[in-house]
Amino acid sequence: MVFPRDDPPASREDHRGSGLPIDYQGWLACATAVAGFILCLVGWWAGGGAVSLPWAPTLNLRLSAALDGLAVLYALLATGIGALVFAYGSRYLNMHLEHEGRPAAERWRFWPWMTLFAVAMVGLATAQDLVLLFVFFDITAVCSYFLIGFDRAKLETRAAALMALLVTAVSAVAMLVAAVLLYASYGTFSIPELLSRAEPGPVTTIAGALLAVAALAKSAQVPLHFWLPRAMAAPTPVSAYLHSAAMVAAGVLVIARLHPLLSRSQSVLDGLLIVAAASIVVGGVLALRADVLKQVLAYSTIEQYGYMVMLYGIGNAAANGAAAFYVLAHGVAKSALFMAAGAVTMATGEDRLSRLGGLGRRLPVLAVACGVSAASLAALPLTMGFFKDELFFTAAIQGGTLTAVEAVVAAALTFGYIGRFWMGLFLGPPRGEVNRPPAMLVAPVVLLAALSVVGGLFVEPFARLASDAASVSAAQPVLVDPAYHLDARPENLMAVAAWGLGALLLVVFRATDVVSHSLAVAGERLGPRRAYEAALEGLWRVSAALHNLEVRDLRTSIAAVLVPAGVLAGIAFVATPTVGSYELGTVAGTDWLILPLLGLVVIATLTIARSRTRLTVVLALSVVGFALAAIYALIGAPDVALIAVVVETMLTLVFLGALARLPAEGPDSERSSPHRLRNRRRDLIAGTVAGLAMFGIVWGFLSQPSGTTIASEHIRLTPAAHGGDVVTVIVTDFRGLDTLVEITVLLAAVIGVAALMRRGRLW
Amino acid sequence: MRRPESEPTALVRVVAWLLLGPSVLVAAGLIVKGYAEVGDGFGAGVIVALAIAVNYVAFGTAGAEGALPALRYAPATAIAGLLLAIASGFFSIALGDPPVTHQPRPGEHVIKIGTAELFTPLVFDVGIFLLVVGVLTVLVHQLAHREEDFG
Repeated sequence: MVFPRDDPPASREDHRGSGLPIDYQGWLACATAVAGFILCLVGWWAGGGAVSLPWAPTLNLRLSAALDGLAVLYALLATGIGALVFAYGSRYLNMHLEHEGRPAAERWRFWPWMTLFAVAMVGLATAQDLVLLFVFFDITAVCSYFLIGFDRAKLETRAAALMALLVTAVSAVAMLVAAVLLYASYGTFSIPELLSRAEPGPVTTIAGALLAVAALAKSAQVPLHFWLPRAMAAPTPVSAYLHSAAMVAAGVLVIARLHPLLSRSQSVLDGLLIVAAASIVVGGVLALRADVLKQVLAYSTIEQYGYMVMLYGIGNAAANGAAAFYVLAHGVAKSALFMAAGAVTMATGEDRLSRLGGLGRRLPVLAVACGVSAASLAALPLTMGFFKDELFFTAAIQGGTLTAVEAVVAAALTFGYIGRFWMGLFLGPPRGEVNRPPAMLVAPVVLLAALSVVGGLFVEPFARLASDAASVSAAQPVLVDPAYHLDARPENLMAVAAWGLGALLLVVFRATDVVSHSLAVAGERLGPRRAYEAALEGLWRVSAALHNLEVRDLRTSIAAVLVPAGVLAGIAFVATPTVGSYELGTVAGTDWLILPLLGLVVIATLTIARSRTRLTVVLALSVVGFALAAIYALIGAPDVALIAVVVETMLTLVFLGALARLPAEGPDSERSSPHRLRNRRRDLIAGTVAGLAMFGIVWGFLSQPSGTTIASEHIRLTPAAHGGDVVTVIVTDFRGLDTLVEITVLLAAVIGVAALMRRGRLW
Repeated sequence: MRRPESEPTALVRVVAWLLLGPSVLVAAGLIVKGYAEVGDGFGAGVIVALAIAVNYVAFGTAGAEGALPALRYAPATAIAGLLLAIASGFFSIALGDPPVTHQPRPGEHVIKIGTAELFTPLVFDVGIFLLVVGVLTVLVHQLAHREEDFG
């Protein structure tokens, strides 16, 4: 599609100045997020609240939402980080669009989805109903699809968007299945009620596992992690948001929300631990070697969310508190790192570590801000991140030796890759041209870095937020109370060990490079992405083959409807007992009139099959129609007969009108070719299958006019609907909604005719 | 529709023209009586559309549309019919009822004029009627229309 460019080329001259149009949509989105943030803060301060409205009462569905501790944490993250990311994006998107030579109007393809993303995250955080949770969960998937695919002219971008959508949305179906399973057992979709009613047992285990699958795919955990590094094709604000406060966070949020349910099954918790361990290793090791800036951070996200999943797998109160605090500290640090990477790319035009370096002198503010965020991620003291690892280590020790070792390895990997990331960017010999990035691309990074430092000095408010959230996910009061302790407690020793190991990773870079490279190659060759691609390819092939079979000519199109219908009916005959279902009645009364009419139908049908001229076919068809109309009249269905007569007349007219437009020469030339003969045999088989099945259905139906059918119920209720004519009452009242849909189809059909005949002009 | 080599006779033209009035009358009857006896808005719509189609046959596209300029409102009629049907089906939501609940409710008093009962299914039926007339007229127009006739 080609869009007219509405900004003059002159705006290219000033790369960061006022030449670019102000992004009102972006600032509106930012203002919305700020308003949401303030509302959530006020709500938290006021002690929360709940709302519950009927949605679909017959299904026991309610639109119920509550602002509890967990909801506050995630809603504050989504709106707070959202506000900063949106402010950043309002400048970034301008430059991005200008860089790509796209009109500013394309902002309309971006900001509505971003805003909806934030709204869906808040909705997801507050949802108290499994089906509502599923709806918001899928809305985030749809938003991510459009945002990742924003640069839709590029093939890999579209593939990445589709991959993100398919992996997360297909897995999300597991959540719906779990919801139905739980509803079948416990009779409610409401999460608080489910948590109080669900007993440990196979149903709870299976439902918990299914919920975990949906959540883990969303949080990009191994083996469903491969969509996340691809999703880097999105513009930077999207990545920053997706990785810190939305989408990926949504998965962990679901785990936290349903944690009391999941923890009723030890095998689900063990599963979480295994997945987490794999994710930590895969994400951490691949991040050590990744070259593209955003890819380092993407693998880091996989690893970091592995921490959180591991904590939920450990499952005790301390672990819940640590996980809640972790989401917060990670979100603040990771969004800053992403935005810093975006700013670097905007300033230099490069997005690979191997082509960047020595930016520290030239971009000092960014270097410091990015350094603080990296330090927070690597859990250095005086940052909020230090406490996240302290809590993490405490919980890991409680989880056993294995998790404790894993925790140290994970922290060491984080230290290694994030150290390499920061040093690669800002230290070393200066390389390449650097423009000063606009202030709007640096300010949010600085603000988030400052927040990390504030959290490192005054952790109390953040810890309180985490306590409130963990009290929900652990279903018991949890106190998150991190502090600096200058002694040789295990947590401190583990932290020192992790830093030491991480520094070692940086020193023996060549060795880690080999390990990371071989893992990456193995992943490429045997990884789950291959399975995804093979599955997609296979589905595409099957679909294409079916499509080709179906649309080869008009006859195959008809056979594609009739043959499956006939086969299904045949299966139904085999599966149901048919004794006594088929009776031969006696011929009496009006039957003697119906029989010759049926004979006429048979003759006309044979004529249609044998005829070589179109006009004969049309006229014979109308004979069939009129004969059937007469039969309706005879068996006492005057309404149907009337409609049949008038519609048949109309159809004949329309057919004749259409015939007049066909070329005079028919496709008679191919009549005797062998291909044609084979097709005729195939048509005969298709027609026989469909005809026999339909014959069996009608005969069976007429043999067994059962007592109380829906028809007799209709007749009984007709007077109540102020009517005398059952058919009319059914059409306009009992089944009014069906009729509404059908007449809409009628209108759509005529618009289709207009599109085919006169390029859509209706008149 | 293409004018055949042999023009329709004067008799065909006169009958086609004369049929228009009665067809509308029959349609009105079908709608009004539909709830008590045979017929409904759909059938009524097809009957009127048939009368229009016969005029296309008798007078040709240009002739029929010249004689009945109101025909060009057919697309609008179809859309209006759909909107009317939707409105009659869904306004009950505003009253707190499920969609397609008819008013007055079962058992309540209905104002009758002859056999015509004034209640929402009648409005729905009129909507179907308008839609069917509009859609079929547009269909006939599409099939009959030839670019060289109008340019």
